[in-house]
Amino acid sequence: MATERKKNAVGEEMQYSLFKDAMHRLAANKLALAGMIVVFLVILIAIIGPLITPYDFLSQDLDYRNKPPSAQHWFGTDDLGRDVFSRVIYGARTAVIVAFSVTILSYLIGIVLGSLAGYLGGKVDAFVVWLIDVFMSIPSLLLVIVINVSIKPVLVNWMDARFLETQNQFYRNTTWVDFAIVFGSLALIKWPKAARIIRGQILSIKNKNYVLAARAIGVPTSKIIKRYIIPNSIGPFIVSISSTLGESMVLESSFSFLGVGVKPPIPSWGNMISDGLRVWQVYPHILAAPALVLAIVTISFSFLGDGLNDALNPRQWK
Amino acid sequence: MSELLVVRDLETQFKVRAGRLHAVNGVSFSLKQGEMLGVVGESGCGKSVTMMSLIRLLPPSASITNGSVMLEGLDLIKANKQQINAVRGSKIGMIFQDPMTSLNPFVKIGIQLSEGLIYHKRMGKREAYDRCAQYLDLVGISNSRHRLEEYPHQLSGGMRQRVMIAMALVCEPKIVIADEPTTALDVTIQAQIVELVKELREKLNASIIWITHDLSLLAGMADRIMVMYAGCIVEEACLRDLYKDPRHPYTIGLLDSIPRIKNDENLRLKSIPGQPPNLMQKPSSCPFASRCAFKTERCERENPSLAFAPGEIEGSSHKIACWVDTRGRQ
Repeated sequence: MATERKKNAVGEEMQYSLFKDAMHRLAANKLALAGMIVVFLVILIAIIGPLITPYDFLSQDLDYRNKPPSAQHWFGTDDLGRDVFSRVIYGARTAVIVAFSVTILSYLIGIVLGSLAGYLGGKVDAFVVWLIDVFMSIPSLLLVIVINVSIKPVLVNWMDARFLETQNQFYRNTTWVDFAIVFGSLALIKWPKAARIIRGQILSIKNKNYVLAARAIGVPTSKIIKRYIIPNSIGPFIVSISSTLGESMVLESSFSFLGVGVKPPIPSWGNMISDGLRVWQVYPHILAAPALVLAIVTISFSFLGDGLNDALNPRQWK
Repeated sequence: MSELLVVRDLETQFKVRAGRLHAVNGVSFSLKQGEMLGVVGESGCGKSVTMMSLIRLLPPSASITNGSVMLEGLDLIKANKQQINAVRGSKIGMIFQDPMTSLNPFVKIGIQLSEGLIYHKRMGKREAYDRCAQYLDLVGISNSRHRLEEYPHQLSGGMRQRVMIAMALVCEPKIVIADEPTTALDVTIQAQIVELVKELREKLNASIIWITHDLSLLAGMADRIMVMYAGCIVEEACLRDLYKDPRHPYTIGLLDSIPRIKNDENLRLKSIPGQPPNLMQKPSSCPFASRCAFKTERCERENPSLAFAPGEIEGSSHKIACWVDTRGRQ
């Protein structure tokens, strides 16, 4: 592996690429590669979900309830005769939508506040750090429950009122309120971590000797940001994005499990686990399918995160 | 030998929580083409800040409050951002103290070395790489082509410092500021680096400002030495004069506190009593007065400015900032 990279380096093209080197490193790490494949598979399944599900996730077959896995129903059926395999795939959809939305939302907030704090320093920095501390001190479960019981009814009532007023079907479906509340509350939990990482990266790299050395040979600021600050902060940044994706999936599942996340009948691995838990001694497959999938996906994200961390950090290259 | 760089009344202050820290208090000196100027002083005496002020590479809390730095008709203190960027690297190069952290770990050596060439000399990448390889050869790194494709962590400390030196020299600046370049290296590598700089100076005819707190290191190479204390130059002399005939009490103290190998009398190592002054106020008396064995009443009233040492003829370069004639009183 190492010799191969050197061969490339001495060869004709002297193109510099952090990512090419990082991909080589990542490919050499079997666990990380497996993690990456699972993660991409989950995302792919989430996107093409409706094309591969054998049944609709809502269609019930009351003559065929609680059946164990078979050729027709790969993961069996649940207490309403719904196909568990289809529901797990739709659950992946929910998980991926939630994970990406939450990660994007929380990093948008985190990047803006974190880089403002890191660059400007002084009072802005003190305020942002205070805000981060305040948000991190609130227990996340409590925050989600409070948002669910205080904001959600207001929104749902408003939607109903709008529907009666306009007869517009859009206001009738409160699924979007569910999702918006989940995105919003999880982003509120996750942004302080993102802001902290970005602030820390900017603060530490801004004062590094190699930035000073680059300034001393007259490298312009735009190039310093492009070639020094971004590559040096991108490693922890990508790793934390990857772990935030995994963590948001788990958080969404745990809140759905507790009944404050995505509401049935929209399938989420969390509420499926919650359903399965009541009958696991009799029909273990209803619990096992979503729980195993959730476990595998979570582990894959953390392997991928670890692998990325090693791959993007040349100081660990041997 | 004409004056290449002329610094007048340079003052730099840091804004700190308790007020203003007067790090550099009216430093004036000049540098000739091809000259090697040593700057010595203890930690926090303003040597590095003075030199960093020349190319305005100061932290945001620092500001240059007075003075001028003239280089080829341009006042670097008043120069705008583009002008100062054009000077950095191409006219004044810097070698830093810690080679372990002064190279970007994410970027191959070749990219970092060629950055200045591409930016200042508008060279193409291939041409810049050729030049960089030449300079790596010059600073004694073998297999230079191959090294250009390596990352900093693949080099040893001494090699990284050689790369830093090559980086400072590659644009052929007229002036190289070396800020304690050997402090982070062990003694054998130190000697190699010193030899290398001496050699390169002859080859490239650059002026070098060498900042250090090691007087014995300068003995073998500097033309002229400036001794700094509390943000002021207290003595400036050519190498021979400074070692044979130090005049300022601080310089005398510094030279006395160098351990000698041939110490037959088994004496204790001498040191200068006391602490350097607090620089939160601009010194109104001689900053060394409280530690000085030759102190007079005038020393506590007025701060002496740098002037020709007593008994020196006009035109000699030996200057001190002291009210007392220390000749024959040591």
